[in-house]
Amino acid sequence: MADKMDVDAVAGEKEEEKVGPAPDLPAERIITNNFNLINQAVDAFDSRFTLRALRNISTIRKATNFPEAIAIGIRTAFPKPQNNARRVLEAMLPEQYRGVQNGEASDAKDPDVVEVAEVWAYLGVLVQVYLFDTQQYKKGAGFSENFVDKVRSFNRRTMDPIGAKAYFYYALFHENLDPKPPSKQSAVIDTRPKLLAALRSAVLRKDYETQSAVTVLLLRNYISTADITQADLLVAQTQFPSTASNNQVCRYLYYIGRIRAIQLAYTQAHAHLEAATRKTQTTGPAAGFYQQATKLLIVVELLMGDIPERSVFRQPALEAALYPYFKLVQAVRVGDLQAFLKCVAANEAQFRKDGTYTLILRLRQNVIKTGVRMLSLSYSRISLRDICTRLGVDSEESAEYITAKAIRDGVIEASLDHQQGHLVTTPARDAYSTTEPSEAFHARIEALLAMRDECVMAMRYPMNKHRQEIAEAAKAREREREIAIEVVEGEGDDGDDGDGGFEGM
Amino acid sequence: MAEHEVKQILRDLDHLQPATLSQAPNLLSRAKLALLKLDALVPDADTTPHHLHFGAAVLEHGALVSIRLKDTDAFTRYYQQLQSFYALPAERWNSRVGKPKNQAKVTGLYLLLLLSVGDYAGFHTVLEGLEVSSGKGEMEQNEFIQYPVRLEQALMEGSYDKVWGETKRERVPSEEFGVFSEVLINTIRSEIASCSERAYPSLPISNAKNLLFLDSEGAVVQFAQARGWVAKDGRIYFPQQEEEMLAAQRDVMSSSSMVIENTLGYARKLETIV
Repeated sequence: MADKMDVDAVAGEKEEEKVGPAPDLPAERIITNNFNLINQAVDAFDSRFTLRALRNISTIRKATNFPEAIAIGIRTAFPKPQNNARRVLEAMLPEQYRGVQNGEASDAKDPDVVEVAEVWAYLGVLVQVYLFDTQQYKKGAGFSENFVDKVRSFNRRTMDPIGAKAYFYYALFHENLDPKPPSKQSAVIDTRPKLLAALRSAVLRKDYETQSAVTVLLLRNYISTADITQADLLVAQTQFPSTASNNQVCRYLYYIGRIRAIQLAYTQAHAHLEAATRKTQTTGPAAGFYQQATKLLIVVELLMGDIPERSVFRQPALEAALYPYFKLVQAVRVGDLQAFLKCVAANEAQFRKDGTYTLILRLRQNVIKTGVRMLSLSYSRISLRDICTRLGVDSEESAEYITAKAIRDGVIEASLDHQQGHLVTTPARDAYSTTEPSEAFHARIEALLAMRDECVMAMRYPMNKHRQEIAEAAKAREREREIAIEVVEGEGDDGDDGDGGFEGM
Repeated sequence: MAEHEVKQILRDLDHLQPATLSQAPNLLSRAKLALLKLDALVPDADTTPHHLHFGAAVLEHGALVSIRLKDTDAFTRYYQQLQSFYALPAERWNSRVGKPKNQAKVTGLYLLLLLSVGDYAGFHTVLEGLEVSSGKGEMEQNEFIQYPVRLEQALMEGSYDKVWGETKRERVPSEEFGVFSEVLINTIRSEIASCSERAYPSLPISNAKNLLFLDSEGAVVQFAQARGWVAKDGRIYFPQQEEEMLAAQRDVMSSSSMVIENTLGYARKLETIV
């Protein structure tokens, strides 16, 4: 899944960052500027402008006069107060902003702005953001339902990024209605038919942004009500578009990682979650996602039997959030069952909130396995009774069965002496004489080469540069030809002048 | 009338004796037909609480009967049908009649079924769903659900003596759970056998008898022969060749073809990176 390394937009963003704090355009100016951007997007059929317009939603929503700004924007776009589109949007804003305009404001407006439906859709998304920020969830849910229907009926490719955002807020509103998930009666279940229909039309229209956004929303929906089988079926039956934006890819990988972890496919889950943590931003608004993904990654690593590195817990963004998991990892690493149980009991509320509680309960066997492994590494011969006391297991028989199972699973290399009740470890073989190092190297090399291939495929060049190059090449060839002709003519002139200018040599 | 018929059949099912168990499928089909006439087999928005209660009761009886008759397919079908009843919110059920009484039992039996066929992924998926819908407190106290959870923990850990203990008469919550005990014991016996093959170089037969929870030395010898072990001089010897095979695989020399393939791949990719 290639990221769009959008050279222009990155540069543009850097400019915005420099410009942003200093002059601080008022929110309504930003909105009206965005109208121009959107018009450009429609004319050039290039989605980068729409994305740029959508990007500063996060700055303007924090403005104190946000609803006023939206109202001014609506009035700028739709000068006639009786315009249906305008009325629909204004109905969502509080009363004082609904202007009773008499016709005079309409003179200086360019008629294009009214015609372009994307502008209306953009204003609709702003209204959704406003309703969400003021927590008017019921109103927002009702508005969003009609809004997404209208957007879907437009079937315009230039509206796709805006439509994707509309669906996002639609799902978000319904999540906040009572009864909240994971109850089986929650409103999110009613959104499923609409989201599925949206997915179908997105695939038919090759609308990749909406397809990726809606797939992610559906997965989130299913997982929130613990319908894991349905989520799994969705993943199996649909394809995630490879041109999706990085944010959606991260979310998708996270949800798949969750599904696989619940289904005990830990290696797959680990691969997905690792990719998710690598691709996401680690600071700024996405820090919360990074924390959640890392938490799940740590639990999956523990379930696989590996211990996560300490450096993961040292990162400044994660240190506070991961503290309970740090304690958990310590308990598992040592193989101390009592400490593990205490840690789980102490942090139960936190784990439940993170949705990792059930996974952590499965760690019990891992603690025991790690304990057995520690013992087999330290002792060449140890009696079963000692194993029993150290692991905190109830009886010697249990200890015997547990160690036998551990041997069979390949956790330790040892044999049991039943007569004397001992565990005898076989000395470790030299790892370098096997193919293990080369396999490890191979995995890493493959990953890096794949990353390089993805980067190459993701590079973008300005559109008409190659024509310039061809022109330049043609000119160069022309010049060479002329020079060659001149040389030939020149030689013909002084061909009988043997040495040319060299006389005294 | 259909309602009257359903009530009659429910009463018959309640008074079913073990001897007359084979009549139950007949009764159940009649009950389901009656429910269809009442439109209560699948609950929807306008089914009355009374009919809901009938539907749930009939299906639960069906589930428990099919367990006793060891018909796992029928049980799974009843369980899936009951899911739509269990997903209804509490308000739909009349306060006088109450929620279906056997929900925990049926769910526990389904979990045990998944465990006995070895479908751990399905087991955990259902468990997630339960955790989310009924919360921790209810689940902890419910014996029917804790029984398969405890079993799964013990199985994963490898403490098979705990599993053995759980399947004894006293610990089993109800007789339907007892139906699974046989299957579970066979499962753990084969698990222990495969563990023992790797773990012990050899074993005296008397110890093997205790380890495998078998009744007599003759049974041990039979079991050993069935698994291809050699029984000699009162000891059992386990075949060793698996170990050597694994060792050979990891030997560098024999995997040279893989190394060559990998290296050629690297060379090809590096060429493109110029």
